Amino acid sequence: MPEQRNVIIIGGGHNGLVTAFYLAKAGHKPLVLERRSQVGGAAITDELHPGFRCSTLAHSAGPLRPDVVKDMQLDKHGLKLLSPEVGVVSFSPEGRALILYNDTARAAAEISKFSEKDAKKYPEFQDSLRKMSKVIGEALVLTPPNIDDPSKGDLWAMLQTGRAIRGLGKRDLYRLLRWGPAAVADVVAEYFETELLRATVAARGIFGTFLGPWSAGSALTLLIRAAGDAQAAGAASFAAGGMGAVTQAMASAAKQAGAEIRTDAEVAEIRVQEGAAVSVVLASGEEITAKAIISNADPKRTLLKLVDPTHLSPDFVMKLQHYRMPGTVAKVNLALSALPTFSALKSQDQNSILSGRIHIGPEIDYLERAFDESKYGNFSRQPYLEVAIPSLTDPSLAPPGQHVMSIYMQYAPFKLKGSNWENERVALGDTVVKTLAQYAPDLPQLILRHQVITPQDLEEQYGLTDGHIFHGELALDQFFTMRPLLDWGRYRTPLQNLYLCGSGTHPGAGLTGGSGSNAAREIIKDLRR
Amino acid sequence: MAALKSNSNYDVIVIGGGHNGLVNAAYLARAGKKVVVLERRHVLGGAAVTEEIFPGFKFSVCSYVVSLLRPEIIRDLDLPRHGLEILPLDGTFSPMPSGDYLWRVNDHGQTHREIARHSKLDAEAYDEFGKAMQAMCRFVKPILSMVPPDPATLNPKELMKMLFLGRRFQGLASEDKYNQVQLMTMSAIDFLDQWFETDVLKATMSASGIIGTFLGVRSPGTAYVLLHHYMGEIDGAFRSWGFARGGTGAISNAIADAAREAGVEIRTKSGIQKIIVKDGQAKGVVLANGDEIQGNIISSSIDPRQTFVHFIDSSNLPADFLEDINRYKFRGSSGKVNLALDALPNFKCMPREGAHLRGAISISPSVEYMERAYDDAKYGNFSRRPYIDMVIPSLTDPSVAPPGKHVMSCFVQYAPYKLRAGLNWDDQKEAFGNNVINTIAEYAPNIKDIILYKQVVTPLDLERDFGLTEGNIFQGELSLEQLFFLRPVPGYAQFRTPIKNLYMCGSATHPGGGIMGAPGRLAALEILKDFKGAA
Repeated sequence: MPEQRNVIIIGGGHNGLVTAFYLAKAGHKPLVLERRSQVGGAAITDELHPGFRCSTLAHSAGPLRPDVVKDMQLDKHGLKLLSPEVGVVSFSPEGRALILYNDTARAAAEISKFSEKDAKKYPEFQDSLRKMSKVIGEALVLTPPNIDDPSKGDLWAMLQTGRAIRGLGKRDLYRLLRWGPAAVADVVAEYFETELLRATVAARGIFGTFLGPWSAGSALTLLIRAAGDAQAAGAASFAAGGMGAVTQAMASAAKQAGAEIRTDAEVAEIRVQEGAAVSVVLASGEEITAKAIISNADPKRTLLKLVDPTHLSPDFVMKLQHYRMPGTVAKVNLALSALPTFSALKSQDQNSILSGRIHIGPEIDYLERAFDESKYGNFSRQPYLEVAIPSLTDPSLAPPGQHVMSIYMQYAPFKLKGSNWENERVALGDTVVKTLAQYAPDLPQLILRHQVITPQDLEEQYGLTDGHIFHGELALDQFFTMRPLLDWGRYRTPLQNLYLCGSGTHPGAGLTGGSGSNAAREIIKDLRR
Repeated sequence: MAALKSNSNYDVIVIGGGHNGLVNAAYLARAGKKVVVLERRHVLGGAAVTEEIFPGFKFSVCSYVVSLLRPEIIRDLDLPRHGLEILPLDGTFSPMPSGDYLWRVNDHGQTHREIARHSKLDAEAYDEFGKAMQAMCRFVKPILSMVPPDPATLNPKELMKMLFLGRRFQGLASEDKYNQVQLMTMSAIDFLDQWFETDVLKATMSASGIIGTFLGVRSPGTAYVLLHHYMGEIDGAFRSWGFARGGTGAISNAIADAAREAGVEIRTKSGIQKIIVKDGQAKGVVLANGDEIQGNIISSSIDPRQTFVHFIDSSNLPADFLEDINRYKFRGSSGKVNLALDALPNFKCMPREGAHLRGAISISPSVEYMERAYDDAKYGNFSRRPYIDMVIPSLTDPSVAPPGKHVMSCFVQYAPYKLRAGLNWDDQKEAFGNNVINTIAEYAPNIKDIILYKQVVTPLDLERDFGLTEGNIFQGELSLEQLFFLRPVPGYAQFRTPIKNLYMCGSATHPGGGIMGAPGRLAALEILKDFKGAA
């Protein structure tokens, strides 16, 4: 006789935990089943090297949606968010540093060292971005409407957004319409002449996606990401103890609210009877039934692997197979015996300036060329890097005077042409270190430990299909009512009692908790019935 | 010497005698307006022109095939009576380096067998694809004949239009909704990947998704352009793509003839140097020779960069508008090579003369080939191995070449208007032309021995000789952010401009480029509305 449960959540990633919390709060006593021995999914902290702890995957939050932080009282559960005053520092090959402080005036002052014109434009860009991101922010909180027969609630919500959109005023409304489908390279060129600044801002439009800065639609990614963080080039949103601290706090909040969390509990199958999900079977063979089964795993893994696709219409399966999620990101984590010396910085400023995010990718063309190689199945030889040295803001992560460095490398296509990731692992690591050494020559000598996480690892160890960190491309055709599929943007699936709550649902996009809390809202409605 | 003031006064002055200008003029004249068309060159037609560049050989210098011309225009202007005759262009032949080929023709059975030779699955999918595209076209077609709404106003009429669109979309079968959304947003290849597995098939089909854009087959947004070109292929009024007998110029001449019959006065060699604006109102134009012509309404079929930046004093325009116009993207990405041939090209993969030469011949052997051609252009080089679309109209229409001889028209992409620092098109012209010939020679080696004359048209030539800013054949990129209510710039997608009595009627307005005539017609209808309003 299988164990009986009320609600099961497959996967203890941050969205799964957020959904668990809201369901528990509503009294549904969810059971979270996590395959690995710790919760957190892609938001975890591991010991990289004795005495060195590092955010293994995500190193900066989306940032988290404020209402989620508030509802879950994450601060009471030990979460300490750190946001250094430097958002991003970006380096040029000529040894110059562009420092983008969160404070617009200070950032503008730094920009004026490159171009007076850009310094004047920057606040203007910030302002438009802030206005537009506010509107998009409202759309991100929405459950996408049902297109065929919108409910009263849908219409009301759309009306609200409609109002907000009109509130933008003609100029910014037109901007929003133009930017949505535009290439981010065009958008930044509208405002700035400094290549380094253009590239630093444009990077937000391509991070985690199979798009180059010249790809139409990359401006939308910038807007979606700006919805949570209206800094032109993005702020740095770290957590004391690394990103694992975020999900640990979430887990603790969910438990306190009444959720149960089981680790080392891999779900091998979702059982379906007469078009309804009825139970899950663990790798151990144990079966657990539930009234509702919610998957934090990506849509493909959930509906094509955990579910036997024969329970779905061939048409739906075909469309889901076409859901685009080609991974493009690899991760390299370093344990360092000391802080590397960036030739562009005076030593006395290093600590403060390097405490934010570090952008490597000095020109639009540099980023585009990095993308070009991945189109043909090679990883970039001159990659775009998104780097953080969290031990500067949280010394507890490394022994005194020593540091951990967390590096996102792009582009690393999941499918390599004429090779595989096991063969390329070392070459990938070397490429990353070599690239960084062009800006911080002493880096290679400081490396105590070198961890390379390939797109293959992202799929095999962290369950991200095709190694896509966002559970699917953030593209126009996979956004809002179309995430993951047109008219399946409402967290429900063709199977009764089976729901999605991960980043493969609206709004997706990084460590924000948005998908998880939106999903919980819809599921609670259904559970009331 | 003081400029002469011509005392003749017109209801409408149409700037530019391209096909849209002529359509615009014809519709206005048929409504009883006194109209003059001013064309800078000695020939009419703009980019839809036939010229005898080499004795005995008539080149369709720029635009070389037709299919999008709106049926209502053909009907209203009775173009066949004015000499328009469209000859079918049967099929697309894509030679491959492997020595194989893909040859699609209008004959369904034959095409099915041919595609099945590459992939049985694709042969089946091909029919389904055709059906799906038809449904999409049925959805989009009315939009081509519709004045775009302005999403930024609360004017009920505009909101109704939006509602109409929403309803239409709702009305689609869910399958079609899905396709429509994808077509509006995806890349041509992402879209085609869902249907087909044969590389050369996808490559050749994706080609129509990049024409006139500075995008690659993998760039989002190109699926729409694919549809834009598909529109004609299944247009009831037409037999797919075709040639005009006598070359593309014959289309312009037929429209011009219809316009004259309706009372339009057409002046060639009458370029303008200025549009006269007094206190926010367009009053007339000043010709290059200094003559001044008065008109109640000025309708400009030339692109907005020319109209507003070159011919109007900026002090007459709102700064925001001017900023948008200057931002409007042209980015010409294609060139032409027109050849006078002593004999027919002989393709390795299908030797000697045959029906395969009567259709389009497409050098688009693989998706990677297409994408790499784009990569070159992104960094300011013409494609080392470009996409080439060739036709040999003389096979279907002997009137364009001496007996036994032929003309071959080669459309080439990519040829970026802005070359990388240090290069300029006048120096690159020769190399560009030779590169095209060398590319063709890889498939048809005899090409080099049969060329009697070679005309190379670079993006710079398109700008200088045909007045197409930055050499863009569509008067501005067909990219999503420049379509429908965003074309040419937000807030001015309804053919009107910030200047009273000044209108736009060229390809830079909705629904955009190609020999469609829709912008000219829609603009005319809007202008007539305003006449009524004024009366």
